[in-house]
Amino acid sequence: PRAGHAGNMENFSALFGGAEPPPAAAAALGSAASSPRGIVADNNLPPSSLSLVSPPPTFPIPSRGAGAGTTELTGSTNLITHYNLEHAYNKFCGKKVKEKLSNFLPDLPGMIDLPGSHDNSSLRSLIEKPPICGSSFTPLTSTMLTGFRLHAGPLPEQCRLMHIQPPKKKNKHKHKQSRTQDPIPPGTGLQPQPPLPPCVSPGAAAHPPLVPPETPSDSDHKKKKKKKEEDPERKRKKKEKKKKKNRHSPEHPGVGSSQASGSLR
Amino acid sequence: MAEKFDSLEEHLEKFVENIRQLGIIVSDFQPSSQAGLNQKLNFMVTGLQDIDKCRQQLHDISVPLEVFEYIDQGRNPQLYTKECLERALAKNEQVKGKIDTMK
Repeated sequence: PRAGHAGNMENFSALFGGAEPPPAAAAALGSAASSPRGIVADNNLPPSSLSLVSPPPTFPIPSRGAGAGTTELTGSTNLITHYNLEHAYNKFCGKKVKEKLSNFLPDLPGMIDLPGSHDNSSLRSLIEKPPICGSSFTPLTSTMLTGFRLHAGPLPEQCRLMHIQPPKKKNKHKHKQSRTQDPIPPGTGLQPQPPLPPCVSPGAAAHPPLVPPETPSDSDHKKKKKKKEEDPERKRKKKEKKKKKNRHSPEHPGVGSSQASGSLR
Repeated sequence: MAEKFDSLEEHLEKFVENIRQLGIIVSDFQPSSQAGLNQKLNFMVTGLQDIDKCRQQLHDISVPLEVFEYIDQGRNPQLYTKECLERALAKNEQVKGKIDTMK
């Protein structure tokens, strides 16, 4: 708050019109206080009349202007400039800030745009129920490392998590077309799967129950892409078949010479 | 001040990268990878030790709980900062209007 103190003073003086002289009442009170107690010379009355008046109580009047002890910070001042937040305001409010967490942390692997409640990875649960652990981190000894002996071979498809990345959206039109066909749109609103049985092989360390972040795996997504690509081709082939059947049927008039069958299946 | 955050950020990035490599080793494990797996596990422990050391330098830093809600929802935490600034400015203008009308 000390920064910009001079600026605040300028705003303050601009709003309230500079330092004002102390009011006349204070001078009168001061003079009354300095006079002997009980005898006050009232200028309005004739000099012959003296009245016994106890000095009125004095009230401290706050002085205004430069050099005052504390300056008031009110809402009439621009608090953004007062606290030197113009750069931050332009940075966050001037430009469009992207919605997803992956835009803030682009290098973080895995599906981080999903809610943490789906796979019990929320920070809130960590705060509400902090894990009970020791006071220090000790390196693993050789005997401890024997518990991490794994069996050779690939993990089951459902247990693979680290390699799954959110699909990159290239064309919005393709994404819109795929919405009507796909029951689960890629990258948004993925339904959580029930917790999987731990992928443990005898003699290996027990893995914690793993929940995949998305239901369609990469291979399923590729299969669906292949199906989409095959669908128009299948339709064309069906149309060709129908046309050829109709041409060769006795009911269809104007059947010309039989054409080469081509690649009929 | 920024150096403390840079140090923590560097340790966290190394830790995450180590975990990612650990996941790659485990996804298709081979007997010859056991030594590498053990090394990565020990790197994980030392990484946690380094992050714990950074905690002492940042004991005076406070983070609003609402930021954690944004992160849990998969939203950019910078949106929280943006909304705070917008709310502050809107309230500032509202109060200024009241003061001006009182004048």
